[in-house]
Amino acid sequence: MTSAATQNEILLQIRNLNKNFGGLKAIQDVSMDLPAGVITTLVGPNGAGKTTLFNLITGHLIPTSGTVHWLGKPLKGIEPWKIARMGIARTFQDLRLFSHMTVEENIMTVMERSSWLWQGGRTEAEKRVSEILEETQLAYKRNERAVDLAYAERKFLSLARIMASQAKLWLLDEPASGLDPRSFERFVTLLRNYAARGITICIIEHNLDIVIKLSDRVAFLDQGKLLAQGSSQDILKDPHLAAIYFGDRS
Amino acid sequence: MLAYLQNIAVLFCINAMLALTLNFIMGYAGIFSLAHAIFFGVGAYATAYIAMYFTDSLLICMSASILISALLSMALALPALRVRGEYFVAASLGLQVIGVTIFSEWKSVTGGLGGMIGIPRPKLFGYVFNDDGMFLLLAFVMLLIVIGIIALLVRGSFGRSLMAIRDSESAAQSYGKHVNAVKTISVAVSAGLAGVAGSLYAFYISFINVESFMLETSILLMAMVIIGGTGTLFGPVVGAALLMSLPAALTYLPFLPPSELGTIQQIIYGLAMVLLMMFRPGGLVGGRSREKSA
Amino acid sequence: MLFVQLLANGLQTGALYALIAAGFSLIFGMTRIFHAAHGATFTIAGFIFYELFAILHWALPIAAIASAAAAGLFGVLLDRFVYAIIQRHEGSFFTVFVASFGAAIVVQNLISIFFGKGMVTVTTPLSKSIEVMPSLFIAPISGIIILCAIVAFLILQWLLTRTNLGIALRALGENPNLIEVYGLTPRRLSQYVFLIGSILVVPAAILTSATSGLNPSMGNHVMLISIAATIVGGVGSLRGAAVAGMLLGLAENLCLAVIDPQWSEAVTFVILFLFILFRPGGVYGRAIVS
Repeated sequence: MTSAATQNEILLQIRNLNKNFGGLKAIQDVSMDLPAGVITTLVGPNGAGKTTLFNLITGHLIPTSGTVHWLGKPLKGIEPWKIARMGIARTFQDLRLFSHMTVEENIMTVMERSSWLWQGGRTEAEKRVSEILEETQLAYKRNERAVDLAYAERKFLSLARIMASQAKLWLLDEPASGLDPRSFERFVTLLRNYAARGITICIIEHNLDIVIKLSDRVAFLDQGKLLAQGSSQDILKDPHLAAIYFGDRS
Repeated sequence: MLAYLQNIAVLFCINAMLALTLNFIMGYAGIFSLAHAIFFGVGAYATAYIAMYFTDSLLICMSASILISALLSMALALPALRVRGEYFVAASLGLQVIGVTIFSEWKSVTGGLGGMIGIPRPKLFGYVFNDDGMFLLLAFVMLLIVIGIIALLVRGSFGRSLMAIRDSESAAQSYGKHVNAVKTISVAVSAGLAGVAGSLYAFYISFINVESFMLETSILLMAMVIIGGTGTLFGPVVGAALLMSLPAALTYLPFLPPSELGTIQQIIYGLAMVLLMMFRPGGLVGGRSREKSA
Repeated sequence: MLFVQLLANGLQTGALYALIAAGFSLIFGMTRIFHAAHGATFTIAGFIFYELFAILHWALPIAAIASAAAAGLFGVLLDRFVYAIIQRHEGSFFTVFVASFGAAIVVQNLISIFFGKGMVTVTTPLSKSIEVMPSLFIAPISGIIILCAIVAFLILQWLLTRTNLGIALRALGENPNLIEVYGLTPRRLSQYVFLIGSILVVPAAILTSATSGLNPSMGNHVMLISIAATIVGGVGSLRGAAVAGMLLGLAENLCLAVIDPQWSEAVTFVILFLFILFRPGGVYGRAIVS
């Protein structure tokens, strides 16, 4: 894997982003930077707009106003598959694995970017697939269909896909929810490895324990507005934010 | 007897080709088309027209059939695939209906309701396939080629892209798959190869008319794919064999009134479709392979 | 004058199509099931009416009610015994559609075994055209058709907005989980949807039996109209489907002024293609995020 950026270089820039659905202001004037090598977690109550923000970055939704820049290029109006090929990848809360394909095929197909019929560099690819299977400890399941995997294995397959995508920005939607403690430790280690290699990681997470263990930085979103961002210590210790998070609005 | 068997064998090759190509988009891409008979027909009419008025060269006629079928399918696919898959069903149904009307009305090209008569046998490097046995060989070789092409596509990266899109279009898109391009190419391949079947059909029977390309045929092809098993390479071939032997098998049952055999056949495969979807959605070859998503 | 005649015919056809399309759209919009057997429901309703009224000479209202019962029963049974099982283990669009399609084929062919493949009609004095104005012929039955359609839609409107059942049905389309709060199950509600959606085609079937006649494969045409109207009107919008049905009926008849009859079915699809190309959300439908 080539390291694309020096530690903490800002690769994703969001400026004054707004998204309205009719009268509903889903995202209001959000500005944020996601630096390389840092794991940022998006927290906030349900309906705060976290997934909407992801969709705005990946091109599934078009901003009403404001900009998103990746590696200096504006993303507005570019189709999702093109944005994906620019190095941005995401996972879904409901995983959306390629259910009837095997673990190996799930990984391989992500590596095969182009839709053309023949691909070069087979041995390279096979090596990388084996590497990923090792890292996610899915090697023994390589020929199992995704739909037949256990819960934790599916979570790791979802991660394996994003690892295979060679993306430099990972948007993970509740990637660790429901994992048992051992699997969770493995998960965190894996993420940290990749962050160390210069990947920009942004995670949506509800479970505060997970947030504390995983994040370097936290961004708090509520009703479409970015209320605060900073180190996880600062954000999570703020009583005002805690009140909002747990439903107390004053 | 030999002539009878040869006849069945050629028709089997043609039907198998049609079922295989339909399965390519239905089983592997998850695109449902009710218009497959039209691409079959376009291939047949294209070959018939060229063979009768220009040249009986196998290469030229068949290439034309492939090209015209593929291009027509892209005209359908490009707009219709931009929206949800359900709409493609509707659009394909529309194409089937309009296609039949065009086949029946465009007298100068298709011969209208009367069809086209007297299509010559094809010529390849100077050899004319007048002998039925040799034609069977030709049909069989074409079938193998079609199987080969489909297998190559399905087992390689294109096939994986197709199946990824089938299993989760949004995820496929999020991982860089150009969904529309992949779907359009698969539809074009499916239609183009169906055109091969049409070309062979026109050459073999030497008479074609709109009756072979109506909704009933599209439905029969769908039944072959479903009953044999979607998403498997040989399922459609099994389905083709089964459904082709159905009429013959039914004649052995004495209590069935002969005039109703066609109707009863349809009832049988209608029932088979319902029961299979309830208990064995993967078809006879595929089994229970269509379980819930991960 | 020809134009006015075509317009009158178009209104009659349009009213029938509006009813049929509303039934399909109700089912598809609320259960997400592509009920390809909707055309079969229509055929069953029509032929049962024909058998009871024209052959066995039952009284018209009783024959009509019996035919409605048959249609409703067919829809509910299909949902209960086929769709329910499929949805339990997998329920993808493909599987449901194919099963539905298979059922439609079985019904179509069973009917052709009992009634033959040809056209049958119910003759009533009401279908005799009267020259209302010079070269404008309208049969009293057309007025009845349009009246029926209006009444049916008013009842449907009342049902969906004023009754608990109706509100629950609308919730089914938007957010199935909400229903459990009311102590209902999506399964049970889905059966109501199929009952109502299937009965909606009955007036159209009965009236068609008295006007253009019935044949076993007419279900195909009914499906064509249902799908086209649902898409053109906008998926999820009952009003849209009804309006689109009316539009398609009018278009189908008015275009006869310029083209041959065998192309009139194609007109429906040209309209459909245009909408898919330029306005896939339909007239009233939700915007499609692909």
